Amino acid sequence: MKQMKKRPWGKKLFFSFLLLSCMSLSGFAQNVITGKVIDESGMVIPGATILVKGTTKGTVSDFDGNYTLEATSEDNLIFSYIGYKTIEIKVGTQTTVNVTLTEDTSELEEVVVVGYGTVKKSDVVGSVSQVTSKSFEDQPLTRTEDALQGRASGVKVTRSSGQPGGSIKVRIRGVNSITGNNSPLIVIDGVIGGDLSTINPSDIEAMDVLKDASATAIYGSRGSNGVILVTTKKGRGKAKISFDSFVSFDNIPELLPTLGAADFARIENSSRARVGSPAIYSDAEIAFFEENGGTNYQEELFDQQGMTQNFQMTASGGSENGNINYFLSGNYVKQTGMVIETGYEKYSLRSNLDAKISDKFEIGLNLSLVRDETENDLNSFSLFNGRKIMQAATWDPTTPVYNDSGEYNYFSLKSVASGTINPIAEMRESQINFLRNRVDINLNAKYDFTDNLSYALIVGANTVNTKQERYDISISKPDATYSGTDNTSYQISNILTWSNTYGKHNINATGLYEFSSSEYSQNGYSAYDYLISGSFYLAELAESFAASNIYNKSDIQSVMARAAYVYDESLFLTATIRMDQSSRFRKDENTGYFPSLALKYSFKKWNFIENGNFLSDLAIRAGWGQVGNQNIAPYSTFPSSQIGGTDASYPFTGGTPSPGAVPEGYGNEDLTWETTTQTNVGLDLAFWNGRANFTIDGYKKNTTDLLLNVPVPGTNGGGFIPQNIGEVENYGYDITLGGYIISNDNFNWESNVNFSYVRNEVVDLGEEDFIQGSFEATDGTQSYWNIIEKGEPLGQFLGATFLGTWKTSEATEAAQFGRAPGDPKYLRDDSGEIVYQAIGNGTPTTFWGFNNTFSYKNWDLNLLIQGVHGFEVYNTMRGTINGPQRSFMSPDQLNQWTPQNETDIPAGGQSIIGSSRFVENGSFVRLQNLAIGYTLREIGPIESLRLYASGQNLFLITDYQGYDPELNTITAVPEDRGNGDVAAGIDAGAYPNPRTFTLGCKLNF
Amino acid sequence: MYTKNKTLKYLSSKVSLVVTLILTLMCQNCADLDEDPTTSQLAPGQFTSLEDFDLGVTGVYGKLRTASQWTTFFVFGWAGDDITTHRALNKAPFREYDQMNVSSDNPRSLSNWNDVYSMIRAVNTVIESAQGLSVPDQEGYDRLLGESHFLRGTLFLHMTRIHGRIPLPLSSAPDFEIGLATQQEVYEQVERDLLLAESLLPDLYPGVIAGAPRPNKGSAQAILSRLYLNWAGYPLKDNTKYTEAADVAKKVIDNHPAHGFELLSDLNDLWKVENRFNSESVWTIAYSNPSNLGNRKYGILGYPSDVEGGWSETFAEVRFFEDFPEGPRKEATYRTDLDWKNFQDQVQPIFTKIAGPQGDLPSQWSTDRNDFYMRYAEVLLNYAEASGRSGSPTAEAWEALNKIRRRAAGKPFNTPDPSVDLTSGDLGELAFTERKWEFAGEYLRYNDLVRMERVADALSDQARTPLDPNISLSNPVVGSLSPDNYFAPIPQIEIDLNPNLDPDNN
Repeated sequence: MKQMKKRPWGKKLFFSFLLLSCMSLSGFAQNVITGKVIDESGMVIPGATILVKGTTKGTVSDFDGNYTLEATSEDNLIFSYIGYKTIEIKVGTQTTVNVTLTEDTSELEEVVVVGYGTVKKSDVVGSVSQVTSKSFEDQPLTRTEDALQGRASGVKVTRSSGQPGGSIKVRIRGVNSITGNNSPLIVIDGVIGGDLSTINPSDIEAMDVLKDASATAIYGSRGSNGVILVTTKKGRGKAKISFDSFVSFDNIPELLPTLGAADFARIENSSRARVGSPAIYSDAEIAFFEENGGTNYQEELFDQQGMTQNFQMTASGGSENGNINYFLSGNYVKQTGMVIETGYEKYSLRSNLDAKISDKFEIGLNLSLVRDETENDLNSFSLFNGRKIMQAATWDPTTPVYNDSGEYNYFSLKSVASGTINPIAEMRESQINFLRNRVDINLNAKYDFTDNLSYALIVGANTVNTKQERYDISISKPDATYSGTDNTSYQISNILTWSNTYGKHNINATGLYEFSSSEYSQNGYSAYDYLISGSFYLAELAESFAASNIYNKSDIQSVMARAAYVYDESLFLTATIRMDQSSRFRKDENTGYFPSLALKYSFKKWNFIENGNFLSDLAIRAGWGQVGNQNIAPYSTFPSSQIGGTDASYPFTGGTPSPGAVPEGYGNEDLTWETTTQTNVGLDLAFWNGRANFTIDGYKKNTTDLLLNVPVPGTNGGGFIPQNIGEVENYGYDITLGGYIISNDNFNWESNVNFSYVRNEVVDLGEEDFIQGSFEATDGTQSYWNIIEKGEPLGQFLGATFLGTWKTSEATEAAQFGRAPGDPKYLRDDSGEIVYQAIGNGTPTTFWGFNNTFSYKNWDLNLLIQGVHGFEVYNTMRGTINGPQRSFMSPDQLNQWTPQNETDIPAGGQSIIGSSRFVENGSFVRLQNLAIGYTLREIGPIESLRLYASGQNLFLITDYQGYDPELNTITAVPEDRGNGDVAAGIDAGAYPNPRTFTLGCKLNF
Repeated sequence: MYTKNKTLKYLSSKVSLVVTLILTLMCQNCADLDEDPTTSQLAPGQFTSLEDFDLGVTGVYGKLRTASQWTTFFVFGWAGDDITTHRALNKAPFREYDQMNVSSDNPRSLSNWNDVYSMIRAVNTVIESAQGLSVPDQEGYDRLLGESHFLRGTLFLHMTRIHGRIPLPLSSAPDFEIGLATQQEVYEQVERDLLLAESLLPDLYPGVIAGAPRPNKGSAQAILSRLYLNWAGYPLKDNTKYTEAADVAKKVIDNHPAHGFELLSDLNDLWKVENRFNSESVWTIAYSNPSNLGNRKYGILGYPSDVEGGWSETFAEVRFFEDFPEGPRKEATYRTDLDWKNFQDQVQPIFTKIAGPQGDLPSQWSTDRNDFYMRYAEVLLNYAEASGRSGSPTAEAWEALNKIRRRAAGKPFNTPDPSVDLTSGDLGELAFTERKWEFAGEYLRYNDLVRMERVADALSDQARTPLDPNISLSNPVVGSLSPDNYFAPIPQIEIDLNPNLDPDNN
């Protein structure tokens, strides 16, 4: 959190009065000088100190920034304010001296939130990346995750899709867990368990990312994936109202090439001729397609202008005495997706109030309300045969969307190409709405017993209600399903802080007792086979119904202690320990201890720095700690059974089914958390009095006793048993370099580079050398496209090795396997079976961001470039287009194998989509944001007006042949096995990232 | 004085601190660290009531339907000379069977394996959970236990007919080292389960409709006759089992009214969706499409794209159709109303048994049709064939064959008719041939070819090439037709996960 230190202001005020009262009269003629102190943005600065140089005379500016004092024409006035550069002005003949103070980056006391307290940035011992609102306020944002992207080293944000309201993946320093969740812990204003997708980026003051275990160990069993501490804005000073609005236009950069109808028909005929089948398209039909074209289902699917509208209003301020402060904000976002019938809408409201009841007692209440609605999230449709995007790219171009009587052609008229229901019909006729209401209440109070000892209480409570309403026409007659959930959690933290200074020794100790509880329930129904078509709200028309229910509850209680010792601003030592008890594990296994130790030494006070101009600080850091991951579903230690549903009910009479029960989870009562041990060493350098900073951190973290869902072979009934088995290692380094390259009155260029490298390796899998993957092929082959292998990084692709086509000269050999020349050829083992092995990896090793802010007079420019390297993408989308699952769809086919021209493009035969043919380099560089703004000041009541235009994703440099190599892998059955990270980089029809143009304005009153 | 004051102040602040803290903490509840999953889940473990037991058995049926709803359940049937599939499209897994070239990564084999063994886990759990349950209604208990063993034995038999040697998990606790049982052990286990079922099941399962959707004693005996025919043929070729096959089939025939079994008089009625529960089925797998528990094997899956946008999965073979004796049975077996020779997509006849009688099934891939897992007609023909092959071709055995022949000719099956009745010749072979036509398109033919080692005769290109010179042979065989290629390989992934399932390691 970057904020002005409050206490010094009070102190300065006090000293100023002292000075005034002790003022001695001098011999020169005194004139009354008045003026106003403002900052660069035109905001008034109350409490600035104005001193007459060489005397003890002085004053402070009042609440409106005005001051009055007496001085002679010979006097020089010195204006100073904490965090700003001190300036000196000779009075001369002036009686009005207005000044504009500019921020002093070196002196600004930046504060970093470290969890259960804050420290000065210079005192941070662990590895922490900070992203403040200043760095992203010029980028039009609707999502908080986007604000993190490319701005914090060691933090990888995968903005995976253009799906409005879609999920965005955040990972800190690689991925630890194979089965468990790898998402970082989100702590909003001290309350654990926030959700970045529901927080309005305009409400954020700063985000502090705790990366190493010495920093995250205070979050114990929930800290192993890193912690993002979000601090929301607070009001202060004079009332301020701002209004911000932008509109963006999203477009798909380019469509994937597919065959036109005539070429498609010819290729289809040729592949049928190879197996002795008659031509399915007549010459007349082909001539018709030649003349009239066919239907490009990609175009039909992306037939909507993507658009985002964002309105934001903020009011903030405080009472004159500073005892009551408020920050109020409201936000409305409406998005229309590029895919037909998709959209997103969000309303959010925040009220942060703080009251200082007395010198010792402060109390605050933060309230946040969010309601959002996602319309037709593509991931909510059946993912059988891939997402709608994959289906559209492989749908029969010779079948029009509608037949002659204006009804949908639900299936291909010739049963060719994709076998799915017409994706346009399904998008238009089905409806899947997801609605979420979230209320967060955060009550915090602080009482100072003495100057050294304080007690803070944080009470956080939130409730999230969701409902999914689904009307689905994909299977015979329409079905509807409803699912409503309620998730209510609370957290109570008692924090005791004691600190004292003994000469050069400073000691700070924190103690915590905390407990939290979360209760989840879901109820739903399915209504099958409407008698006549209708809509979701006509479920009474259904022929049969089924019900579903889930309930669970989990609790954690914790004790934490932290001691920090600082010697002479040079030696810093922090030690912490946390004990967690979690209800998710059985009594004997439910208590965990998570210690950490961190050390830092700064050479700031050494002569070579103190006396030099170039280097202003040099510090070395080392830290060690252990953190846990308890993120398994409640009741995982118990065996479970499934009641009813399609797998456990049976229609003995052919009508209404009878419910049954079948065994499901195997349970494992010995389960406990997985533990991540991390060692971190770092080096911090500051140059030219803090104008530039450099930080490098190297780390190694080992996650042991992995919470691993060990698959049970099909022979034994399938499913999985959760076990504590195996080890994953991540090691790498994060570099941040930033500062003002140019800084003068008119022109500023601030630049920030962050670079991260991480290697991931599965060190141990118990007795196994590999574990079956979690991503089931979308082509119906029941195979898995990923695998977890010992000695290799997570994200291994599993598939066949493509060797081109069988050539005419190899006809005899091909015939042994039932193949003919022109068929695809794959690597086989000695017994003649096709070899399935690891053929690539989708976990990136390297990512970087380069953020630049230029300002010239009233102009500002932001440029953010981002790169990700060292990974491959399994382009199963191209695999499906190239087919043939049923038909060839790719223009590559125009150059297919013929006896005369034996190319490596197969002309028929059994192609395998999951093969090395479709593994591609995924590395890319993207111009993430380019924004230019112009600010007008003081037009009537308007204090400032900023107009801006920007573009996101303006260019993408990559060899990848799909829409976009940056994608989230969504498994067809996400709860099945593992998490998306073990199947990273599988493109099975990801919603492409849009190219976005934005126009906006920001008004301050 | 001053010092004392300070100390006092300090102390009082300490006291107030401690008091405040204690008060604060006392107001707060401690976390509840004991999970109680029973609010929302049934606790697995021993059954406490018959209702519990029934819930478990119904669950096993649920798993059975999950497995049987797809054509994968009968994918080995494509190897027969009666059924074929599309030459292209995404039908490769079926073509592999059709062409006797089944790879160990065949997805249909795998998904059937997973679904059936998942059901086996469920039934093992039920059998274990029923141990020690004591209830006043002993008959009810026996019925459910008999039903459980029937389901396990029948499905083990189903799997061994596809793969030959299979693993036999008999406990709900996963045995990760389980190996392949020998063929003898497999048959013995099936026999044990079915004999137990036979002894525990009543003559008629109370409260069920026609077609034995819940098995009775006769259902268990009928499946036993199927087991013994297999046992007597390849690979064990234990000829003594023909006698047992005949004996157990005879028991069903003798008691067929008590079990509610009888042939339908008109074959055309058999495949109508309105007759999906009928007396000819000795065990029916039931479906309910409106309840999202439909059958995904019939309807448009039996058509090429020329008819109702068909899905081209299950076609009839041309040569088999050409050889099929003319008459009412042929008319009831094939959709002769369709001009199949002029299909643009693929020239194949269409099975009524798959696509449904004309105008009967909606134009869908998921239907209400049930599976007649075994028909009473098969019991009759098992009896005839087993009697013939065991050297006791009794008059009753001839009568069993003739009942089928009479109905096939459109005559009343109970009225002797010299124009169709047979009374001399090799009864075993005659019955074997009769099965060929009677069960065409019911996924049974390939197993008949296997047990009699007739695969090479029936599947050679010569035997399958259409007589019509304008029609080419679809999906010619590419794999070996010798016995070492009769059974489908066990899915490779299962062997990778547990090498004990590799036949080469046993």
